[in-house]
Amino acid sequence: MTESVTTTCGYCGVGCRLEAHRREDDGIASISPALDGPANLGHTCLKGRFAHRFARHRERLTTPLIRDERGGPARAASWEEAIERIAAELGRVRAAHGPDAIAGLASSRATNEDCYAMARMMRAAIGTNNIDNCSRVCHSPTSFALRKALGLSGATGSFSDFDHTGATLLIGANPTEGHPVVGARIKQATLRGMRLVTIDPRRIELADYGVLHLAPRAGTNAAVVLGIAHVLARDGFVDHAFVAARTDGWAAFAELLPAYAPAAVEAISGVPAADLERAAHVYGEASEACIAWGLGVTEHKHGSEVVQLICDVALMTGKIGRPGSALLPLRGQNNVQGSSDMGALPDTYTAYRSVADEAVASSFEDAWGVPLSRTKGYTIPQMFDAAVAGELKAMYVFGEDVAQTDPNTAHVVHALESLDFLVCQDIFETETTKYADVILPASSFLEKSGTFTNAERRVQLVAPAIDPPGEARTDFEIIKAVSRALGHELPWATPADAMDEIAALTPDWAGISHARLGRRGLQWPVAPDGSDAPILYERAFAREGGRAHFAALPYKAPGDAADDEFPLILVTGRRLQHYNAGTMTRRTGNVELVDADVLEIHPDDAARLWISDGDRISVRSRVGRIELPAQVTDRIEPGHVFTTFHFPETRTNLLVGASADVNTSCPEYKVVAVDVRPIGEQPARVPALA
Amino acid sequence: MSRNLVELVRRHHAFDAPTALDVLKDAVERRGELTDEDRREAARRSGLPEAAVHGVSTFYDDLLTPRGARHLRVCTGTACFAATGDAHVDALRDGLGLQLGERAADGSVSLAETVCLGFCHSAPAVRDGDTVDAGPGVVERALAGACVAAAEPAWSSTLAEPVLTRPGDWSGLRRVREEGVTPEALLEAVTAAEIRGRGGAGFPAGVKWGFARAAAGEEKFVVANGDEGDPGSYIDKHLMERNTALLLEGMALAAHAVGASHGFVLVRSEYPRSRPALEAAAEAARAAGWLGERFDVTVIEGAGSYVVGEETALLACLEGLRGTVSARPPFPAQEGLYGRPTVVNNVETLCNVPFVAVHGADAYRALSPDAPTAGSKLVCFNERFARPGVYEVPFGVSTRWLCEELAGGLRDGRSIKGVQIGGPLGGILPAERLDTAFDFDALAAEGCMLGHGGILAFDDATSMRDVARHLLRFGAHESCGKCFPCRIGLQRAHGLFAADAPIDRARLEQLLETLELGSLCAHGGGMPAPIRSLLRWWPEELGLAA
Amino acid sequence: MSAPALTVTVDGASVEVPAGATVLDAARAAGRWVPTLCFDARQAPFGACRACLVGVEGAAAPLPACTTPCRDGMAIDTEDAAGRRVAHAVVELVLSELPRAPAPHTELAQVARRLGVGEPRWPGETHAPAPPDVRHPYLAFQHELCISCGRCVRACDELQGTFALTATGRGFGANVAAGLDAGFRDSACVACGACADTCPTDAITEVSLLP
Repeated sequence: MTESVTTTCGYCGVGCRLEAHRREDDGIASISPALDGPANLGHTCLKGRFAHRFARHRERLTTPLIRDERGGPARAASWEEAIERIAAELGRVRAAHGPDAIAGLASSRATNEDCYAMARMMRAAIGTNNIDNCSRVCHSPTSFALRKALGLSGATGSFSDFDHTGATLLIGANPTEGHPVVGARIKQATLRGMRLVTIDPRRIELADYGVLHLAPRAGTNAAVVLGIAHVLARDGFVDHAFVAARTDGWAAFAELLPAYAPAAVEAISGVPAADLERAAHVYGEASEACIAWGLGVTEHKHGSEVVQLICDVALMTGKIGRPGSALLPLRGQNNVQGSSDMGALPDTYTAYRSVADEAVASSFEDAWGVPLSRTKGYTIPQMFDAAVAGELKAMYVFGEDVAQTDPNTAHVVHALESLDFLVCQDIFETETTKYADVILPASSFLEKSGTFTNAERRVQLVAPAIDPPGEARTDFEIIKAVSRALGHELPWATPADAMDEIAALTPDWAGISHARLGRRGLQWPVAPDGSDAPILYERAFAREGGRAHFAALPYKAPGDAADDEFPLILVTGRRLQHYNAGTMTRRTGNVELVDADVLEIHPDDAARLWISDGDRISVRSRVGRIELPAQVTDRIEPGHVFTTFHFPETRTNLLVGASADVNTSCPEYKVVAVDVRPIGEQPARVPALA
Repeated sequence: MSRNLVELVRRHHAFDAPTALDVLKDAVERRGELTDEDRREAARRSGLPEAAVHGVSTFYDDLLTPRGARHLRVCTGTACFAATGDAHVDALRDGLGLQLGERAADGSVSLAETVCLGFCHSAPAVRDGDTVDAGPGVVERALAGACVAAAEPAWSSTLAEPVLTRPGDWSGLRRVREEGVTPEALLEAVTAAEIRGRGGAGFPAGVKWGFARAAAGEEKFVVANGDEGDPGSYIDKHLMERNTALLLEGMALAAHAVGASHGFVLVRSEYPRSRPALEAAAEAARAAGWLGERFDVTVIEGAGSYVVGEETALLACLEGLRGTVSARPPFPAQEGLYGRPTVVNNVETLCNVPFVAVHGADAYRALSPDAPTAGSKLVCFNERFARPGVYEVPFGVSTRWLCEELAGGLRDGRSIKGVQIGGPLGGILPAERLDTAFDFDALAAEGCMLGHGGILAFDDATSMRDVARHLLRFGAHESCGKCFPCRIGLQRAHGLFAADAPIDRARLEQLLETLELGSLCAHGGGMPAPIRSLLRWWPEELGLAA
Repeated sequence: MSAPALTVTVDGASVEVPAGATVLDAARAAGRWVPTLCFDARQAPFGACRACLVGVEGAAAPLPACTTPCRDGMAIDTEDAAGRRVAHAVVELVLSELPRAPAPHTELAQVARRLGVGEPRWPGETHAPAPPDVRHPYLAFQHELCISCGRCVRACDELQGTFALTATGRGFGANVAAGLDAGFRDSACVACGACADTCPTDAITEVSLLP
């Protein structure tokens, strides 16, 4: 057998530990699960196990590319030339327009060390807080809400809580496709007797294993959660001792509840009142219960408010801070948690400490030896707005395909076209690299070292199984080189050195080092002695006075709604076989299993619209139009349609408008009013921009 | 068995609704063979995944052979073998021009083998549709399409106060109800009566019930194991068809003692009369108020598998799953049918209970004064005997008395070469050892077992190598395929005897030891017993290498 | 909350195991090797292969380590002579049903080597040789190498929860199938690969790893 390396999966946020077996002649021979992986317990899914061929795909970027003129052809270039060009252009923009005319995007796919390096480069080498990462468009509402309600931005427990809980409310998540290994763990728990309530406009697979499925109209989660809280309060499930001892704000929240009687919630959400009562009782009657959620909660206009209401439900019943009683956001990407933990955000340093906090900022100034801005930078949507407005002139996009994955695609493309200079650092050419002036060939998770932080706050080691192809380099090396060229040396030989700096500057990470992480990782906060925290808030919350905070937030209507012109609501999501923009999975055998995006539509709607299974159809929203095949299924509620955004030829996000979470700008991917109709027999392969 | 599959069935399947196996059996009966659409239908109706249904459809004999307009099943059980040396099988095969398991090209007729139709008193037996014909002339009648129902065996008791041949009259349950006998008191009586299981293992029923009663859980079940698969035995058949009320009463009493709400009888599909008889009796019992709300009984028919007589395999079959054996623990008393605490008792075992409920433990223990074992036993004899039939006898009588006096010795002036007692997993007692007492321990000391109580004589014309080949062919065919020693070992053991070559005794003994020590259940573990008897008493007939 | 630990003796050495531990757990905790073919620590014990028979003081015959619960004070002999004879015989029997030897890296080949089982001496029927079933992009069947240990079926059931695999047939004809036996692709398979990962003979393996 060939050489094997234990590493952490680079797909979703579960954080499966993998054994990558290297082929003698380069490349990955196979991948198997690490038997001692704490999140995956010797299991993995088809992405982690099989979808690794992309790493040696012929389309990998293997040399830097430069466009001598915007929109012109790209040519191969040396690293020296590419980095010189970047330094010169960014220097020119900074000189002419100031550091805040430059913005950078770190990636939730990249390691903690890469993200930290990127954030330091933007802050110290460029001098701006214009740094954000793609968690903006998925779980930023979770992060915001958890910090506001409980103190820390992370799950309060671990996946193992599913193994010893009596009941779980699963809201707006489809784990058997999006987080397959956790989905499998939840399914096994239901078969052992854990009572599962699924809440989603789609009848997801796990609904077949649960005791109850609620299908609220998209955008009405807040009403459903308030309705559950109403029943819990009405029927005596409030843990008054806990509320009194460990929380504040209960009275204001309690005052809100009378308005959310089950009948009233039924009118808003369409969820039968009796089902709502049952759901509340399933949760309330279990001595230990969990709530888990995904992007079906967050990617809404009021997503961050719904997460706070979810926290309210756990707090009022005291089901938090114990084994089996946890709040478990299912993070989308492998390092959604870590990229934000690392301060690749426009308003915070590591561990969510404000850029305006003088003590924190000066500690980084001392460490980095440069003055740092106290002004919040742009979020991702603000970056695009600023680019269109002419205020942002240059961007450095690392490991993201914003032109495919971000909402309001036409606006994103307009923004990229408006820039003076765009750097992309990626492993493949993407929709976004089409607009780049310099493209840097980077490395996949199989080619780098560092750490990812999974949805349990577990920091786990990533180890290289193979080398980057051709001239490609690790992201860590690339960022170091660019930063050096910009005049700011990142003083680390290895990612482990970078982690030592992170630990030194971040109290919650004080005890973390690569050596200490070992095979099982550590769940932050990690004390200087190395003891970690599988369960948060066992004794106190991480807010002032140690008390959690009830948010008293009423239901508010979503940003978009069906009307006569756009009578159906589009929900977008992920399929098992593919991963987000499909950059990796489309370049593996997974396309033999699923080779296109399809639109799921309920048989009643399909019949009314004269649509048959497999028909090519047109989907039009207020901002765009796409074409794709229909799949008629009763897994989706009438009035809703569902699709994915895995294939660039579909360009689903052309349909998604500018509506976003009120607190975090996370786009409202989950509620888009659309018009669906059949089209003629000649399919247009190139979707029309509206 | 997969806990998850059991849980899926439990959630999706009302227990009096057809199981996946029932749906498949019905499809075969209607159309003669299974299609994938039938399998999908069975999956939809049972809640089982399609793959699991596929697994079921490849397990049971009844689902595997295609059926013509006329479906003939020829019995290849040991009694029929002892009667003809399998000449009846060859005659049918030749007469029809069909191999076993084959259907005529025009679909008019099909031929399958079946192991033991329970007409061992009148062998050989052939089943045409649901008519079982047996005895002289059966092959000719079958070929002519003129099968007639064979006569059921005679039965009688040698006891003044019969237990098992007394027609069931619900007097035990009546007494329990009228006198308010508590579950604890009934359990105590059954325990004190020392009723030993009659299915082969001889485990004390009271102890088993005690485990089930003590097991945590609201829902508990009583299961009557009517899968009397042992070729040569038709005792449970007799009880299930001709003393039905006694069995149902025994189940109701067991349910009372352990707190069970529902009962199941698993009957063999080889006994086409059993299910209708029991269902009619259950209906009558409901009308009379003996069964109903407090406790009711569902009768489920198997589909052709010997190993389903093993209790964990039996439960799997009741759930409509593959009838494979599961390692214990957990024992059914803790985690049985649908994962609930379950008492699994042999049919005859349960039929002892009404007597105890009426007359008490002391009266029961007094029935067999000359033996350590309490109660009485039904025995039956194969067609080689002069007076085959079902007899109720006390334990401890001599085997010779049973064979020579009660059953009248062999017919046609033949003499006994050996008798196999208690089915294919029992040793073979040579004629010179017939004085052995008929009881658990005495027979065990001779390498034999009481087993089910079937007594099957091989006459002086029988080749003992043929007996070995016959038994091992049966053993290999019926292996459920789960444990390696049985799955492969019986195939290899049969291969040794089927090949036209001398047998290396050391090699054979190694195989027998592997089967005995390694097998998961009594099937693989028991198959060596008759082979060891043959090695002990008739080594010169086995073709051993010099 | 948890029941008290048990102390057992494995080959003379005392070892403490949690309540509910099996004899195999104890042997492994003591660092002793017990041959197994159907065991996978990720799955509930199955008790099919019978290669793990060990001696237990007071027991009339060797017991399967994987399904026998420990009792406090139990004395276990992992190298019980009769148990090892059975293990050796079982492995030889298993090898005898395969039309070709399992690849050297497979668990079956490793166990055979460690027990010193060479070429099987059993003549007679084997599984029918057949080309691998490669209808799925990642997962291949080599039915001729299946030893019906049930690990793939249980991985799909107990680990993944997809129930795409089943045991088929019975007795010597037992094997495995996906769905209605039309291959992985036309089954409920989600390609998690847990079956290939646990297979001790490569009867299910990755297409890219086929010889």
